[in-house]
Amino acid sequence: MRGNSILRIVGGRVYDPANGVDGVVRDLCICDGKIVADVEAGRTIDATGMVVFPGGVDVHTHVAGAALNFARAMIPEDHRRNLAFVRDRIRHGGIGGSTPTTYITGYLYAGQGYTTVNEAAVPILTARHTHEELRDTPIIDKSTCVLMANNEIVLDLLEAGEYERAKEVVGWSIWAAKAYGVKAVNPGGVTAWKWGKDVKGFREPVPGYSKVTPADIVSSLAKIVDELRLPHAVHLHCNNLGAPGNVATTLETMKALEGSRAHLAHLQYHAYGGDDWTNFRSESVRIAEEFNRNPNLTTDAGAVLFGNTVTITADGPWQHLLHKLTGRKWGNIDVENETGCGVVPYVYKEKNLVNAVQWAVGLELLLLIDDPWRIYLTTDHPNGAAFWRYPEIIRLLMDLDFRREQIRKLAPAALNRIFLPELNRCYTLYEIAIITSAGPARALGLANKGNLGVGADADVAVFNNDKDAAKMFSYPRYVIKGGEIVIEEGEIRNTVEGKGLLVRPHYDPSVEDFIRPLFEKHYTMSFDNYPVELERVEHAEVRPCN
Amino acid sequence: MGGKVTCTLGEVKNRADLVIYWGGNPAECHPRHFTKYALMPKGKFVPNGRKDRTMILVDIRETPSAKAADIFLQIKPTKDFEMITVLRAIIKEQPVDPAIVAEIGLSLEQLRDLADRMKKAKFGVMFFGMGLSMTRGKHMNSAALLTLAAELNAFTKFVAMPMRGHGNVTGGDVIMRWMTGYPFGVNLARGYPRFNPGEFSTIDMLIRGDCDAALILGADPGATMPQPAIDHLARVPTITLDPKVTHTSRISRVHITTAVTGISAPGTAYRMDEIPLPLRPALKSPYPTDEEVLRRIRQKIACKPLQLPPTVPMMTDAE
Amino acid sequence: MQLTATTAKTVLTLKQRPHIPLEAEVLTPDRLAFKTRDEIAALPLVLGKRQVRVDDYFDVEGDGSHELEIHGDVGRVKWIGRGMTRGRIVIRGNAGMHLGAFMSGGAIEVDGNASDWVGGEMRGGLIRVTGNAGGQIGAAYRGSMSGMRDGTILIGGTAGLEVGMRMKRGIIAIRGKVKDFAGLQMKGGTIVLMSGAEIRTGAWMVRGTIISLAPLRLLPTFAFTSAYDPTFLNLYSKCLAPYGFALPRAGKEGIYRRYMGDSAVPGKGELLVWQPNSP
Ligand SMILES: [Zn+2]
Repeated sequence: MRGNSILRIVGGRVYDPANGVDGVVRDLCICDGKIVADVEAGRTIDATGMVVFPGGVDVHTHVAGAALNFARAMIPEDHRRNLAFVRDRIRHGGIGGSTPTTYITGYLYAGQGYTTVNEAAVPILTARHTHEELRDTPIIDKSTCVLMANNEIVLDLLEAGEYERAKEVVGWSIWAAKAYGVKAVNPGGVTAWKWGKDVKGFREPVPGYSKVTPADIVSSLAKIVDELRLPHAVHLHCNNLGAPGNVATTLETMKALEGSRAHLAHLQYHAYGGDDWTNFRSESVRIAEEFNRNPNLTTDAGAVLFGNTVTITADGPWQHLLHKLTGRKWGNIDVENETGCGVVPYVYKEKNLVNAVQWAVGLELLLLIDDPWRIYLTTDHPNGAAFWRYPEIIRLLMDLDFRREQIRKLAPAALNRIFLPELNRCYTLYEIAIITSAGPARALGLANKGNLGVGADADVAVFNNDKDAAKMFSYPRYVIKGGEIVIEEGEIRNTVEGKGLLVRPHYDPSVEDFIRPLFEKHYTMSFDNYPVELERVEHAEVRPCN
Repeated sequence: MGGKVTCTLGEVKNRADLVIYWGGNPAECHPRHFTKYALMPKGKFVPNGRKDRTMILVDIRETPSAKAADIFLQIKPTKDFEMITVLRAIIKEQPVDPAIVAEIGLSLEQLRDLADRMKKAKFGVMFFGMGLSMTRGKHMNSAALLTLAAELNAFTKFVAMPMRGHGNVTGGDVIMRWMTGYPFGVNLARGYPRFNPGEFSTIDMLIRGDCDAALILGADPGATMPQPAIDHLARVPTITLDPKVTHTSRISRVHITTAVTGISAPGTAYRMDEIPLPLRPALKSPYPTDEEVLRRIRQKIACKPLQLPPTVPMMTDAE
Repeated sequence: MQLTATTAKTVLTLKQRPHIPLEAEVLTPDRLAFKTRDEIAALPLVLGKRQVRVDDYFDVEGDGSHELEIHGDVGRVKWIGRGMTRGRIVIRGNAGMHLGAFMSGGAIEVDGNASDWVGGEMRGGLIRVTGNAGGQIGAAYRGSMSGMRDGTILIGGTAGLEVGMRMKRGIIAIRGKVKDFAGLQMKGGTIVLMSGAEIRTGAWMVRGTIISLAPLRLLPTFAFTSAYDPTFLNLYSKCLAPYGFALPRAGKEGIYRRYMGDSAVPGKGELLVWQPNSP
């Protein structure tokens, strides 16, 4: 696991925002899987003229588990359309495309300099499956977020005003799922979907409940996560995803989160104006202004790129609507008492006004939110685009001429619904290193990631300094994971195994006496089979809560 | 068009007020299905259990499961696809031809009543068995039922689920998906996965004689497959891994006795609704596990000269 | 220098029938046209998981050309003519699966039987088979939104399941009887069934036309609309007549009965069933 190679990377321009290093030419020394001050022997990599980044960190992605695996089977046409991966001496064969197979997921992330990812949606009931897939996802380190905002045990407790016990249940659930954080998806909405409904107002009771509202769920979970001292804030997919005019809900949600930390996932999908699809427009300015005023919040872009993909989310009602809007095939699994998931293949088209607005909003948020430490590069993979297309977004952020060229391809009618043409900000390499690595690592509370300081994990990406940022970030020269060279000259050389990152929050173990009878009443398997055994997590690293 | 709308069995237990079994005989084939998941249990939103649920059985003959049904709809053999297609039309208030409907073996009134019950259910579920998925029409029969369930969601909550066989068939399907992107019918000969049921599915390949060796794991095709498929297994070198001697073992070149998974070998089994269950071995077996045997075979193969896949360019579908 | 293909044809003669399927997507006029005989002989085929050469299985005569002739029973050779855009392939013997899949131009003629997926997702061109064919002719591959988008497929004998599944445009004409699900989820184009079909013809069709000269067992979700003398049939008659597919005109001999469906979708496909006048 831990590399024992000794390496010295010389002559590269180092971007290490965690330590305020902005393009300084310096050597980087690696020993025993860590960054060290100096090494005596070992191999030297000449990085003269190259750019050295901390390994990328993806704060929000969907790469493993029941929902994604359900999607894989639904889209053979996508698998055939994309280049597959042929088995070779080192690599397993597999499928790329919108939902890469597990091994390929590891290769593709490492292949663009990413070394840590956060799988953002895991039900407790199928967490064992998620961890089995993550075992088969090589190279990268993996954390997971467990779905809590539609968990009926938690919701019933909040309805009854039993906040303290809800907190114990959440703590127990995180450990049961061997998760790292807490995810809230369309709070209350998925529960309502179990009856074919959605929640109506942010401050109206969830269907099936008389008191508890989405607002209560959001603020309670945020508070619980803070009180459990989890390294990562509550990871929130707001209500009303994708809907025209959802800006109001998102702004209300930000208000409800005052006083707590929170990470707003894929903000692009929550920053729309208009009353319906005909006057759908960007509200990125209002969202960004409010966001800038709330230092307790972090977010990720959830940017959209044009082309084919498949949408997968625990947001069942949204997926049913999308299926009705597009007429594309639709998959849905509801998971007892906990959550659900919907799958719809989708094509984002340049000439489609709604899609053009979505494309612009993702970029607008990245350009309008002024602190790069609080917004991170994501596409909500595979919802907005596959993660292996991140370099295209980096180019759009860094290269104004290229961006303008792309804007010109939109339907003219889209232009007065968006702000993008007026934005001239361009990202620097330093800022790219923040939004792809140092920032998300900090948001996840992973001090040893996204960091090239002495003592940090030796996860490093070395890129050619190419004018075309998309090319530059698509083909790293070297990627080092845990001190081992995994990519060299763009080729996979070594497929090390990654770690499973999780936390064991403090909770009262007697909460199990409360959960067990409820479980036996409402679930359909033996309670003893419910929690995932720690040995099921490959190279588990239990991170501290403090 | 199409899709698959389903749920875990606990959703059925807690919510389903309309339970339809189609082309299956759970009373005999999945005896715990009624008591544990679908019919008898008191659920969160169906507190009176059986009393709060309506059970409908659709089949071509009156099986013991019919006794458990509130309504038994006996249809003519191979009319499932027609019946489901008519139901799809009825729920959309589209015309159907009553004279041809009669060939199904039910009256239009009966079908209207069924469609009405489906729409009025709060949470409906259809479980389908091999009487649907393995009779004339096969995958299209399953597709029809899944489509009907998906379309019913325009009116209410409705799901469908196959009643799969025993022996962790679901687990094989789940793992194939994360390894190859496809659930079954996968060909790896060119170093990457390709999928085409009919071309690459086991029975079809064996009947056409498209393989020159076979490895059989956790199955007894010698007892269940059509004779021409069995004949081909006997013709080519076949290796069978099984705790006991099976019909397939008898026609195999090699039989390797392995430990019984779940009893003496650990692992994960996936339930028919894809919930992963840990297997905790209670006994020690003198025999190796399937996994161990396969790992050792792989090690031996690794000692041979490396054979890389063909370098012929991949066949991707053009847009 | 402008390369031009020779006018002579390229002839491949099967030396031995492969014991397992042989994949030969390289066998198209596009790929062979500008190659020498030796280059063609060295082109790769895939036998199971092994790469072999064309001349391991075929005797090669002549340099590359726009005309490829294959002799022998290549019923186990898959993907011949895949994606071809021009030229002609003549197969004297049976052809294997996926013949002419994704082709967009040129012609394939088979003097023998063909297997499943003839013209799968084809975009144009002509495929003609004198004998029987398998299932999924001109169909969409699993999961795809649409099958053949244009072109013509003519089968002299019978055909299998799911003929023209999800096809969008083009013509499929079959002289013998076809099995279940002809025109399944059809979106456009025309299927001509000279000897009718088994069951579930036109199931879930959205648009398009299926013409049957023999009575059909209809799904209950098709409705009779009218007796009909479709003038557009002239056009098809003209285009199919040279291949011996003659469509009768409504008149003294009979009439076409027109049905619309499938109301389950609901769709607006049409079934035209020839009804001869009783003598
Ligand atoms: Zn997401």
